[in-house]
Amino acid sequence: MTRFLLRRLMQSLVLLWLVSIIGFAVLHLAPGGPLAEFTLIPGMTPAQLKLIAHQMGLDRPLPVQYWEWFRRMLVGNWGRSYRDSQPVLDVIAAHIGPTLELMVSSTIIAVVLGTWVGVLGAIRRYSVFDYLATVGAMIALSIPTFWFGLVVIYIFSVKLAWLPAGNLYTVGNGSFLDYAVHLIAPSVVLALVTIAIWSRYLRASMLEVVNQDYIRTARAKGVPERTILFRHTIRNALLPMITIAGLQLPTLLSGALVTETVFTWPGMGRLFLDSIGYRDYPVVMGILMFSAILVLLGNLIADLLYAAADPRIRLD
Amino acid sequence: MSAAIETSAPSAPARRARNRALARFVRHRLALFGLGAIIVLVLLCAIGPYLWIYNDLHIDIRHRFAEPFMGAHILGTDALGRDLFARLMSAGQVSLTVGFAAMAISTVVGTLVGTVAGYFGGAIGSALMRFVDAVLCFPSIFLLLALAAFVQPSLFSITLVIAATAWMEVARVVEAQIRSLRERDFALAARVLGASDAHIMFRELLPNAIAPIVVASTLNVARAILLEAYVSFLGYGIQPPTPSWGNMLNNAQEYLVTAPWLALLPGLFIILAVTGFNFVGDGLRDALDPRLDIT
Amino acid sequence: MPDDARSDLRLSPTMDISRLSRRRLLGATAAVGASGLLLPGAARAASAPPKRPTGHVVIGFSQEPTVFNPLMPHIEVDQGVHWNLFSPLWLANEKGDLVPELAAEVPTITNGGISKDGLSWRVKLRPGVKWHDGQPFTADDVKFSFDLLNNPKFRAWSRNGYELMRDITVVSPTELTWKMSKPYAPMVSILCWTFMVPAHILGKAADPNTSPFNQAPVGTGAFMWKQRVPGDHITLAANPHYFGTGPYLEEIIFKYIPDLTVMFTQFQTGSIDYIGLQGITADHYNQAKKLKDRVVVVGPAPFIESITMNLSKPQFKERAVREALYYGMDNKTIVEQIYYGLPKLTSTYLPTQSWAYNPHVAPHVYDPAKAKSILDAAGWKPGSGGIREKNGVRLSFQNSTTAGNHVREQAQQLLQQNWQDIGVEMKIKNMPPAVIWGDYFNMSHYDSVMVGEDFMTGPDPDVSQYFLSSAIPAKGGAGQNTMEYVNHDVDKLLTDGAETFDRAKRKADYWKAAEIIRHDLPQLPIFQYATIEGTKKNLIGYKPSVYVSTNTWNVNTWYWAA
Repeated sequence: MTRFLLRRLMQSLVLLWLVSIIGFAVLHLAPGGPLAEFTLIPGMTPAQLKLIAHQMGLDRPLPVQYWEWFRRMLVGNWGRSYRDSQPVLDVIAAHIGPTLELMVSSTIIAVVLGTWVGVLGAIRRYSVFDYLATVGAMIALSIPTFWFGLVVIYIFSVKLAWLPAGNLYTVGNGSFLDYAVHLIAPSVVLALVTIAIWSRYLRASMLEVVNQDYIRTARAKGVPERTILFRHTIRNALLPMITIAGLQLPTLLSGALVTETVFTWPGMGRLFLDSIGYRDYPVVMGILMFSAILVLLGNLIADLLYAAADPRIRLD
Repeated sequence: MSAAIETSAPSAPARRARNRALARFVRHRLALFGLGAIIVLVLLCAIGPYLWIYNDLHIDIRHRFAEPFMGAHILGTDALGRDLFARLMSAGQVSLTVGFAAMAISTVVGTLVGTVAGYFGGAIGSALMRFVDAVLCFPSIFLLLALAAFVQPSLFSITLVIAATAWMEVARVVEAQIRSLRERDFALAARVLGASDAHIMFRELLPNAIAPIVVASTLNVARAILLEAYVSFLGYGIQPPTPSWGNMLNNAQEYLVTAPWLALLPGLFIILAVTGFNFVGDGLRDALDPRLDIT
Repeated sequence: MPDDARSDLRLSPTMDISRLSRRRLLGATAAVGASGLLLPGAARAASAPPKRPTGHVVIGFSQEPTVFNPLMPHIEVDQGVHWNLFSPLWLANEKGDLVPELAAEVPTITNGGISKDGLSWRVKLRPGVKWHDGQPFTADDVKFSFDLLNNPKFRAWSRNGYELMRDITVVSPTELTWKMSKPYAPMVSILCWTFMVPAHILGKAADPNTSPFNQAPVGTGAFMWKQRVPGDHITLAANPHYFGTGPYLEEIIFKYIPDLTVMFTQFQTGSIDYIGLQGITADHYNQAKKLKDRVVVVGPAPFIESITMNLSKPQFKERAVREALYYGMDNKTIVEQIYYGLPKLTSTYLPTQSWAYNPHVAPHVYDPAKAKSILDAAGWKPGSGGIREKNGVRLSFQNSTTAGNHVREQAQQLLQQNWQDIGVEMKIKNMPPAVIWGDYFNMSHYDSVMVGEDFMTGPDPDVSQYFLSSAIPAKGGAGQNTMEYVNHDVDKLLTDGAETFDRAKRKADYWKAAEIIRHDLPQLPIFQYATIEGTKKNLIGYKPSVYVSTNTWNVNTWYWAA
């Protein structure tokens, strides 16, 4: 177990290092830069721009800049944002809350609905419901998240005026109910794809479990169908889903970015877009590293949980 | 395709067999529907603009925001009074071209990387695959945006950027296949006979890995169309006045209340195209590789 | 705008100081009177401001303010916050009148604050002003602020004008003097936008570029820093010790809403009380007008929309081409259809409100036939694909603007069609802001851009930064002349104009310069921007102004009608 963890840790560090090089190269080699917004200031002179570039360390060769960044990273210093000169970790911390909120609530919706659809589809295999669920899932996977978001806003905010068109909460209100109401539309929109994926995998997993010997044995022993379903089938079918959940993390992060844009949600996605727009390199790098760590961690935890849940699997 | 499905049908108790046949029929029908939708869309976008009375670029500012089904413009007009139907068709040309081209590039790159990594293994293989893993660590839209924000948007660059975010899955699938095929008798035999590495890789091994590549490629077309829409939606896409389904949607955002059809129609076209490719991809998966039948 | 808003910016030697002081003394009543001119019906009948600060106002901005040290490089949205936290020595109000803020009076040649040769300045400060932390504000702070701007290690937002200052001397806590190395009339206006920072805090910072002050600012303004939630909002609270009028609000909240459509929806549903900066898009104007309990104000803005050309490119070298392009533009349709007739057509670079605006500059005329004949006469003959060429140069160029500005992209496409009609090819190549406004624009790598610019120097009509031949950044110059426009007559007129304090003389020079530039057409002006902004009906005090870049300059006088 320790050996497994150590090996995984080493692999992850190598990956992170690669991620940082790719990210850094893509960011810095591209046209444009963080000074662009200053050039339009009346009275700005090329000499002054040069000075600013020097103070920000942007005039040094790229490998030197990377090395600087890398060295600081090693001692846990993520650098400071070019926009508001706050430490990158503080900036990320200030935006992570809303994103987590959105991801957690949409995951809950997706797991509840996805499980229901998946289990029902497996029990009533080849029924009309199963057929509709299959087609529905395929279509759900084909709908652009932002388009679905816009349609939801159009119907529920513009036409029916049931839900707010965006934002975390109403300024000046901020009650729990107010938060919850604002959370509904974006979480549902973000959950759509996850519901589809979750229900499909769960259905497959269910069908596999149903054919296992221990289920047949239980049935032969006369254990009631309900008990078989809830005690054995669903429980065992959910096991491999842990891995799926871990692997869904990047998709969820991507989806969150788009959803946050449509619903003006002040989370990581928004921050990422804004930071790219301003060429705020330290923050963009910070978010890339942060999400990479999150993804690697998600995979690792999924593996560990899976091993813990299923004694047949040994990590080595 | 249908032959493949027939041969992979298992012999099982009558009732289950009938149900399975029904299921396959249903699935088959979905795949056919998908194929039909794609063919219709491709034909419409390829030929339609030449037959349709309106030009997609002709600005008629005095007839802006004409509603659909109300006049000469069957699907209405946009903010500059251009015919929406004409624009949807030529936008389709762009979006489908991006979809197919990005698929082709990502498939070639992914297959190359996967084959080389799988065949040679060892240091080269693990270096390549670690690189694949590293790229996969970026949530795809993050990577896409980071890249798209930094190139001059054009049909070509957008296609490249999308391909750059889509080749990794192919590489993984191919690598796994090649790695397992490498030790099979026919590969070993070829090596003993003195065949070159390139010959073994591309003549002997790759043809046997073609099924998962085809499936992954089909799904990649769907993905690329979606990604083009995302990039355009976030403002880094195809330049005006050339329409794409994505940038039409992007421009329609602020008219969601006053002219909702501007947002609804391109969205429906995207969904139709993407669903079509997804259905076909799923159908192909069943047909070409019964082991992957997870549903 | 009422007509008197066009009255002169009174900084000439004949400036009527007694009038200014009276205006200042009238304070709150004057503010209500002015808003009455702008706002219809119910607002005019509104009651007096409350005795104690009451309620809060949510201000919607489509960009996020992130820079809170007002002397560091910042953009308009940051300035929107600075106006409320900090104070300048004096400011130009919505009529262009100079009003003393931290200064006791605005120095002029008449009152002896500025010597006759314009080289010696003496500024008396308002006594008894306190920083938000209770420390007294003194002449040391003013000297510190100027010195900081000239400190080579400091990331100063601008040195234009300050670099001419010499021998800044603190005479007493409420008085300081300095010398200028040459007379520079726009300095009075530059100081309208220069906010004073506290010496007792920033002076102690090891590195003023990264001082904690930059995220927890302390000023002398009507509101004090309370809280910032990055990516979402900033809260300021009333300053009970404010030296000026108000504040009448307990709190102001700057809410960041990155999407103009969403911002409008929130204005519609009432989650924001004032929609500022980019405001309401022209597309939503008709909808906005009909909203209940909202006041939508179409106000003037100092920005001029134009096609700016890079004159070093072979396509644009000839004046005949530029003139033909101008004749070929259907500006009227752009304004009437795409911008719903809200902005004002123009053919020059100063807003009509400026005292130096020349109303006799030849107006723009749309005449494609004439455009064609000019090009024919100049030897540009249609070549392949109907695109004109001459000596191997095709009349084809790229036009760029900030990607994602949909309304502007529509205008771009209309121009594309206009110019196609006269045999000119324009290709659209839009880019994200961090790309286009960087070296691409600044170092003149572009063919042409579509851009809205404020050419003035603060509220002063000096346009040297944009049209002097010594202001070409690509040639090492200090300024914004990215078109690489060179005309030595213009150089002389603009330089002379900035060196004299004689209003009449300056006006004559600037009128002449405007006519030459209209003739040369280094850029093709389309319209002067109108800001479409809105407030809730019972919010009193909002006044749009061309003399500021963000209309949150007077929130200290805003209040809710009872």
